[in-house]
Amino acid sequence: MSKQEIILEPSELEKEAKLSLALRIDRFFSKPLYRKGLDAITIIFFVIIVIGPVIYIFFNIFLNIPSINEDIFNDELIGDLQWNIILKSLVNSFSIAGLAVSIDIILAFPISIILTRYNFKGKKLLDSLIDLPLAVPTGSLGISVLLFWGLFGITPGYNLVLFGHIIFTFPYIVRNMKIVLEKADTLYDDAARTLGAPGFTVFRTITLPLMKEGIIAGAILGFTRSLGETGATIILSGLIDTAPLVIVGFRRQLKLPSASFLAGIMIAISLILLFSVKFFTRKVGFPVKKVWPKIEKKLSNNYLRHLRNILAIIFLLLLIIIPSFYILSQISGPEISEQMFAEDNKWAFLYIAFMNSIQIAGLAVLINLIFGIPLAFIIVRRKWGRAIAILDTLLDVPIAIPSAALGFTIFLFWGPQGINLFYPGFFMILLVHITFTFPYMVRPIIGVLERSNKGVEEAARTLGASNLTVFRKITLPNIKQGIIAGGIMVFTRSIGETGATIVVMGGIRTIPVLIVDWVEASAIPSAIFASLIAIIFCAILIILLRTTRTGVV
Amino acid sequence: MPAIELKNITKTFEEGKVLAVDDISLKINEGDYIFLLGPSGCGKTTTLRMIAGLEIPTQGRVFIDDKDIEGIPPEDRDMGFIFQQFEIFENMTIWQNVTFGLEMRGYPDNYIINKAEETLKLVGLLEYADNYPNIFGEPGLQKLGIARAIAAGAKILIMDEPLGSLDPKVSKVFRHEFRNLIKDLRLTAIQVTHNQEQAMAVADKIIVMRAGKILQMGTPYELYENPQSIFVANFLGETNFLQGFVLKLFEEEKMEVWIRLGGPRIICNNPNNKFKLDDNIIIGFRFEDVYIFPKDFNFDKSPHDWSHIQIFSAKLESSKFIGATKRFYLSLESGDKFISIKPGNFEENYQIGDELIIGIHRGDVHVFESPKDFLHEISLM
Repeated sequence: MSKQEIILEPSELEKEAKLSLALRIDRFFSKPLYRKGLDAITIIFFVIIVIGPVIYIFFNIFLNIPSINEDIFNDELIGDLQWNIILKSLVNSFSIAGLAVSIDIILAFPISIILTRYNFKGKKLLDSLIDLPLAVPTGSLGISVLLFWGLFGITPGYNLVLFGHIIFTFPYIVRNMKIVLEKADTLYDDAARTLGAPGFTVFRTITLPLMKEGIIAGAILGFTRSLGETGATIILSGLIDTAPLVIVGFRRQLKLPSASFLAGIMIAISLILLFSVKFFTRKVGFPVKKVWPKIEKKLSNNYLRHLRNILAIIFLLLLIIIPSFYILSQISGPEISEQMFAEDNKWAFLYIAFMNSIQIAGLAVLINLIFGIPLAFIIVRRKWGRAIAILDTLLDVPIAIPSAALGFTIFLFWGPQGINLFYPGFFMILLVHITFTFPYMVRPIIGVLERSNKGVEEAARTLGASNLTVFRKITLPNIKQGIIAGGIMVFTRSIGETGATIVVMGGIRTIPVLIVDWVEASAIPSAIFASLIAIIFCAILIILLRTTRTGVV
Repeated sequence: MPAIELKNITKTFEEGKVLAVDDISLKINEGDYIFLLGPSGCGKTTTLRMIAGLEIPTQGRVFIDDKDIEGIPPEDRDMGFIFQQFEIFENMTIWQNVTFGLEMRGYPDNYIINKAEETLKLVGLLEYADNYPNIFGEPGLQKLGIARAIAAGAKILIMDEPLGSLDPKVSKVFRHEFRNLIKDLRLTAIQVTHNQEQAMAVADKIIVMRAGKILQMGTPYELYENPQSIFVANFLGETNFLQGFVLKLFEEEKMEVWIRLGGPRIICNNPNNKFKLDDNIIIGFRFEDVYIFPKDFNFDKSPHDWSHIQIFSAKLESSKFIGATKRFYLSLESGDKFISIKPGNFEENYQIGDELIIGIHRGDVHVFESPKDFLHEISLM
């Protein structure tokens, strides 16, 4: 530090100090009263939008016990046929979800290891390809899978549904494993290896326990996504029924008590799964501690490792990547242009559906942004003890519930059966999309907020910045990445959603629903074209998501 | 008029389970450079944060210039705060970091520009103004933290271990420059540290805290020469402690204490006749206050005046040469051990096992009440 002349007396200029309008507004709204008000509004929004419908459906079932009993178990004409349908669909749904997730986990182990512990050309591309099914409307995936496996003579039915579900649950499982593997330091591995453990033993005894939470988190997400999936399943199911299809069917036939009964069962099972996972993840261990040095040494040799990697890549290509993108090879210009622009003029429908999808997704992002940021702040910053833990668990409810069931609860809650504020149509679709995408917005923001440095905010306060100014100038730039990631996630999920939308859409169409409609009407080239537009749109968004460099979603 | 005054401040965390600051009161005069000194977890940082408004006291009041500032948020307290981790705004340039506080106070543009330039020149960072802070190492971030805190012209500067993250050698040079800067700007400054050497070197006054309480407050000299507790004696400087009891009381506030059975008897001061006959006590004396003489030393022939010295004999156990100083490890017949420190160039030819004469000035012996658990007390440092 060099000695300088130091001005001690306040100059005339100092006395002219005047706060700018923005700073004065910040100061005004930084009063504790407004903060408490915002907290209250946020909590009310969360309860009404996200939790209310779920609670309401059980209330509704309770009210309708007599008619449920009559329709489902003791119908005059068909007896307990409905109950048999429900039971069969539940068995199908759960067995498909279980099988798909199991197969995904087996395949995801080597893939997540390849993606985190190896370096090779095209790694980023492979990574993005795996994530793409997250964003693509499942209806498009459905067509692609239908056409691809059709080459091998596999027709719609149980197996084809299973193949479809393996694809779109895969990214959830790989992603969660990858996040844990990236965090788990290779130093542990190195330490274990210097102590004489062969690679396989290290993986089984050191890495695997570290991955436990990631595996379980991914599995639960994949499982519930599979349980609730509608768009692809409609296309692939043929004669079999899954639970969401039955809900959609009941809804179309206006058998509302039956639909709410089935939705209630699915929600109850999903919630039990969610809570048991939340509470037991840490307690469950992988049981085998024993070591078999000879066998494991053999399993660790380099040839087997290469073989494992090659097999994993082959299965990845065959089961996931090629079936997802097979659709691209089936584009036929003349057929498309005939269906799109000739007398059918499907282009007009597509344009309207596309605009609907974008408007709904955009509005869902906007509204979730407005309430998602305050909720993330509440969960991370407020010291409300147990209430925060409860809020944090409830936040995952919309993710855990199968989307068709969630859509139905919202239809019941807001529609003529409940509050009677909305009717099937644009705004009810929007409401559904706000609800099921809300956690996708809040989670990444919570992630960045937890890592953000509170000291910097305190520094700004001591320099004269009010709470809101600190938020605008310091906090927001720090959590921007999480907000962008959350926004893109919400947008893509909203663009691709089918099951819940079908339940509440009335006369409005979104792209995924239109695709399903056209497949059912056998207008395959048009469906392919619509899928293509959706895929390109979502691919751009996924690339944006990748470039924002956050590993939090 | 005290610039800062705390009255009966208490702060608890986690719904009263953790007591961080326990009913402290203190006054800081305008223009003073005060150090809050204590081991980690003693409540010193919490005290600072309450003055700045970053924590709200559970009980008690904070006054600035005799005004109660309860309920005034940190942004309106007009204090500069320098953080231990610097807390530089990484999303802003150096220039934007320094002008932030000025803009928040709504100064006119030309004033902001002048002031920021002046401050950046002062800490030597003006040439980096348009860079982002990630070009700096810790010393650079430190200077930026200082510039940012003083730019807006606050008259009170609060610092939480501001030199704690720096390399010890850099920190030693820096602390004097820093003191000069604070004095030049005529700031009232309050700084937290656990580094006693730093506090001794630059503080006007030191407040020693422990377990949420203030143990002693005074100039570095007062605290060093007249520690009022075993903790302060041990925390500021290296001190020998021996257990004993009061053997005899004399007039003129003096007494004779006996260092355990078989140990020497020492006459020391008994201010206000605080200690009574047979009281258990601890005596403390600094390493550097212990004189060593050969066994056959003749005090009468010495050129110095040794009239107030207490002498007893001890055995040399070992010695160690550490550059600037030499340490002698000594033991008494009672088995008690103590240490003497001499300059590195101290001439001697003592052998291990030699019987030596030990001398201590009466005024250098401090007497403390014997705590319940003496070993625990001195091991807590």
